[in-house]
Amino acid sequence: MAKKGMSELAKEEQKLAVKLLIPTFIILLVIALYPLGQVFYTSFTNRTFAGTGTTEFIGLDNYQKLLSFSIKELPPVVDEETGKVKIDEETGKKVFQSPIQVLPRQPELYRPVYSFNFFGSKYVVGAVTPDFIRAVFNTIIFTIFSVLIETILGLGIALVVNSEFKGRGMMRAVMLVPWAVITVVSAKMWEWMFQPTRAGLFNMLLDKFGIGTGNFSFLTNLSLQMPAIIAVDVWKTTPFMALLLLAGLQLIPQELYEAAEVDGASKIRQFFTITLPLLKPSVAVALIFRTLDSLRVFDVFQVLLAQKRYSMASFNYFQLISARQMGMASAIGVIIFILIFFFALSYMKALGVDTE
Amino acid sequence: MSKTQKKVLKKILFYFVLAVIVVYLLFPFYWAVNSSLKSQAQLSMTPATLIPRDPDTGEISIFTSNYFAIFKNGQFLRGLVNSSIVATSTTILSLIVGSFAAFALGKLRFKGKEPALYVILAMTMFPQVTVLSGLYAVINALNLSARFSMIFTYMLFTLPFTTWVLTSFFRDLPKEIMQSAQVDGATPFQTFHMILLPLTAPALVTTGLLAFIQAWNEYLFALTFTSIDPSARTVPVAIQYFSGEFARQEPFGEIMAAAVVVTIPIVVLVLIFQKRIVAGLTAGAVKG
Repeated sequence: MAKKGMSELAKEEQKLAVKLLIPTFIILLVIALYPLGQVFYTSFTNRTFAGTGTTEFIGLDNYQKLLSFSIKELPPVVDEETGKVKIDEETGKKVFQSPIQVLPRQPELYRPVYSFNFFGSKYVVGAVTPDFIRAVFNTIIFTIFSVLIETILGLGIALVVNSEFKGRGMMRAVMLVPWAVITVVSAKMWEWMFQPTRAGLFNMLLDKFGIGTGNFSFLTNLSLQMPAIIAVDVWKTTPFMALLLLAGLQLIPQELYEAAEVDGASKIRQFFTITLPLLKPSVAVALIFRTLDSLRVFDVFQVLLAQKRYSMASFNYFQLISARQMGMASAIGVIIFILIFFFALSYMKALGVDTE
Repeated sequence: MSKTQKKVLKKILFYFVLAVIVVYLLFPFYWAVNSSLKSQAQLSMTPATLIPRDPDTGEISIFTSNYFAIFKNGQFLRGLVNSSIVATSTTILSLIVGSFAAFALGKLRFKGKEPALYVILAMTMFPQVTVLSGLYAVINALNLSARFSMIFTYMLFTLPFTTWVLTSFFRDLPKEIMQSAQVDGATPFQTFHMILLPLTAPALVTTGLLAFIQAWNEYLFALTFTSIDPSARTVPVAIQYFSGEFARQEPFGEIMAAAVVVTIPIVVLVLIFQKRIVAGLTAGAVKG
């Protein structure tokens, strides 16, 4: 009797649980799973948005266009008269053929993305969609540097705030300010500080310290764009990182430090033998979490660089809204999804779910 | 050097580092406030001044018209209204639907709980940009209004987040509460909305606030879905498209004023709920 009652109760619980979960799963089905399926399907077609042409199934063409790239060696130009390698008279360096002559033209035209020297030879990287290859490259550079800098700065700030001092509460409050600023707004604030004249903060400061002439154009100069974007992201997300690491620091039992003190271990030694190993799980989780976030970066790139330089996400947006290439945009979406999926797997493995 | 001297030196060094951190974190915001109080002429002064100064006399002169201008500017006010509607609706919907699911996941025993938890956790990491073209097609096919599209699609990130965080709160509530309610003859659902829900009220507030901030912040979907309907633009999009009276230059004075106006309420909210937010953030990220 009692047993039957229990199973009756368990059945009821099961039914209730299903009922309670249904709304969430229906919503997620409609806004995530169905569109995802749609995106996978569309990525194999040449669908355009509001286009007149008919949609055709084109297999892996979009992926091929996006991902194919080749590295070719640039042969030096040989002087026809002397039969020797031509040397530039001004610089004294070898003259190489132009990338366009070397890169394949059939079946798709490859355009140069990047060229580099290696052991005296010159190579060129060519791609069918150079903007996408660059976008992938930009996103990876952005992710590596911003996550790395944020972790180091965040750890530093967390260690400082973790020690006892007056106004610690205030300090925690201050840490939340950059986090509370809308990403677009923070990008705008920095855009204004990056002004290419001395009306901009950075040029004014650099000029005061005698660096440059007060007209660095951070957002148009190709070699300054990435550092500028990374600086904005680091400012906005370091506090978040610091808060996560601070939570991890507070989980470390104080007794360990007291024992180390008794044993006469120096502060630095304590940091490397106690703090760092015990903080590892928190750091790992924060790292993966931030990496996932950085790989899909959109806001800062779109606001500050728009079509000057893309991240994967802003290139996706461009393909969809400006170029109206739905099939192509979908293929980019799938590529981003696959990339993030692998990171997410490692994240979930690190966390695991707690069913009790 | 004596021991006390060393101690004092250490203290000075410590407070110096602290000051550097504070300046780093707050200065960009101060610069926005400073710039928002400058006229166009003051903004184009070179070198830029740390406080608003008169271009000719060099005396401190504060210019407040930017603030009046943005409130006369329909785009910005409309943006505030749109953002409020969208973010509030999404948050409330996610809290209602999410707390149901979280109760089931946190307190009930049923088959398939583990896969369900994994699905929710996976969804918290779902990259919104991948489904952009798919959602855009769905919205166009269904002819949904831009505002409604945003409310609906923002649940893609707010719903898994609220469900996940609330699940851990429900799980931490003592089992005895449910058992004693059951003994008293309450059905599990009665236990949920009469006993457990009031107990999780603080958690609901924190989670709601965090979901609200995420929705308030959202840019990609807002930019995409309002591309056909500029009147539905939310604050981030409105600020990005800000145009001044003099179309040639970007009106940075007004943009900075708008930046200050939209940031202050959030900062105040965040400061009020400071402790809870940190707890919520770490529950959402560190614990998953």
